[in-house]
Amino acid sequence: MPDAPSRAATVDFRHVTKRYDERLNNAPGAVNDLSLSVPAGRICVLVGPSGCGKTTSLKMVNRLIEPTSGQILIDGVDAATREVTELRRGIGYVIQQVGLFPHQTIGQNVVTVPRLLSWTKARQRARADELLATVGLDPARYRDRFPAQLSGGERQRVGVARALAADPPIMLMDEPFGAVDPIVRERLQNEFLRLQEELAKTILFVTHDIDEAIKMGDLVAVLQVGGKLAQFGTPDDILANPASEFVARFVGADRGLKRLSLSRVADLPLQAAVTARSGEGCGPARQRALADPFPYLLLVDDARRPIGWIRDGDIPLAGVLTESMAIPMSPLLNRRTTLKDALSMLLDADVQAGIVVDRAGAVEGLLTVEAIAERMRDTAGDTQYAGATTELVRDAHDGAEPGSGDRSAAAGPAGTPDAEAVEA
Amino acid sequence: MIRWEWIASNVDQLVEATVDHVVLTAVAVVVGFVLSFGLSVLIYRNRRLAGPITGSAGVLYTIPSLALFAFLVPFTGLSFLSAEIGLVSYTLLILVHNIVAGLDGVPADVREAADGMGYGRARRFLSVELPLALPLIVAGLRVATVTTIGLVMVAAVIGQGGLGQVMVRGFNFRNDTAVYTGAVLIVALAIVADLVLAGVGRLVTPWSRPRSR
Repeated sequence: MPDAPSRAATVDFRHVTKRYDERLNNAPGAVNDLSLSVPAGRICVLVGPSGCGKTTSLKMVNRLIEPTSGQILIDGVDAATREVTELRRGIGYVIQQVGLFPHQTIGQNVVTVPRLLSWTKARQRARADELLATVGLDPARYRDRFPAQLSGGERQRVGVARALAADPPIMLMDEPFGAVDPIVRERLQNEFLRLQEELAKTILFVTHDIDEAIKMGDLVAVLQVGGKLAQFGTPDDILANPASEFVARFVGADRGLKRLSLSRVADLPLQAAVTARSGEGCGPARQRALADPFPYLLLVDDARRPIGWIRDGDIPLAGVLTESMAIPMSPLLNRRTTLKDALSMLLDADVQAGIVVDRAGAVEGLLTVEAIAERMRDTAGDTQYAGATTELVRDAHDGAEPGSGDRSAAAGPAGTPDAEAVEA
Repeated sequence: MIRWEWIASNVDQLVEATVDHVVLTAVAVVVGFVLSFGLSVLIYRNRRLAGPITGSAGVLYTIPSLALFAFLVPFTGLSFLSAEIGLVSYTLLILVHNIVAGLDGVPADVREAADGMGYGRARRFLSVELPLALPLIVAGLRVATVTTIGLVMVAAVIGQGGLGQVMVRGFNFRNDTAVYTGAVLIVALAIVADLVLAGVGRLVTPWSRPRSR
């Protein structure tokens, strides 16, 4: 096992079916002809109501559950052909209840897989400390504690550290943040996304929470009861073009708003701001302001940092602009602010234009509620459900009739239509 | 009414009886534990054996001790073996019950995590499930040991009673001092054994008494 980050692996589900009862096709947890491809280094979220087979699908990857038929390929190799303990040691596994070993210290827990792989003691200890630090736990404080002495959030971090211990190319995460309170959950989600930017693991992530799916996923697979893949695509795709009424209902009537949380200020063209420096003469500033349709002038300091708004009509005919003329500022946005946050801040403000500033705090431009509303109109109101909406979905369903056993990957994009997704 | 000079002049005999008592108890508990552990592993591997095994151990447990020792005499005589057969059979129910309960008490998520990380079945049993079952196993050993210390006294009816012999002779010869001394030593033995096992239990399960944060 190299210390350097291992290459991420691809995971391909090929017509994977799991039946628990031969007579029933959609017993809870069953999976029906699931085909999807997760590219290396991406987070794929499996989301759906309870009993939709999302956890079953996940557990078939590390063979805690064996498929009834079909194959799961990891980097092109059928998981069923690998020795099961060796396969599992190469796949990180995080579960909702964490499952730390209560009789081992945190440090010992973290290096469970390295221990199974017979790393030297010194290397195990170094790895444990490194990983605890990675997940934000001070090794000196936590290494020798027992799991019972940690909070739920801390235990969950240890669970993630443990899954990363042998640097597996794939991680399976089954509702990993489901058992902690919403505040801790959000923090863990954000930290994990930041971590993933460095790690670039291939991650399969199960949740029943569509908001978590949208937030965490590069790709989202929506499953419906009976273990059918209802839609597979990017979060934006699924929100913008739900493939069926089921998906539309599952993502919720506020999908337009949800979609805003996927876009950032940087994604929209900014409106130029008419600015004037404090101390500048009123006359020229007034002329500039009136020449622009936006009814406010933005007063800035010498570094172009915003001070406040002056209504065009309130600009004196003569004299100089002073800070006392300015009315309180709108919220400050930056290019990383999500449109959802921006909208919510703007709705609260007196002047409904967000001032977008750069890292130094200097004005870059304005973002208006209208601009955001424009963006929302792109998604709102469509009741037509697209069929297979993305390349990825077409890929996954390409080439073969379900169950035919033909796994030719060469078929063109005009392959078998996704009948199940369309008819719903 | 306690005749201290009797005690003083019979120290050797009392020590010998105490040692006998400890040996009878220790052999019974060790043999009982080994058998129970084997039976528990059978149950762990095949749930359907749970009923027959605990049922049989339960039947043995309900036989009155005097009757059991008497019943064994025609087969194995007034021997150490007869005493041990009786004593061991009484430990089985307690020990099997606690070992099985201990293994059953391993949280499902811990087991799932162990499987998911690539533990083989034997390794999972030895390094995850068994350590987690230890608190209940030790609790079972404590009950079995204390119970056996009491039962050894009954084995005096077949001439194997350790301190029980001292008491029986005391009854026969109307020697109250012998009766009381035997009784006090048996109680002391039980308390000491229980404390020692409790201490050992704490030593081997450091995780179950979390230090304050």
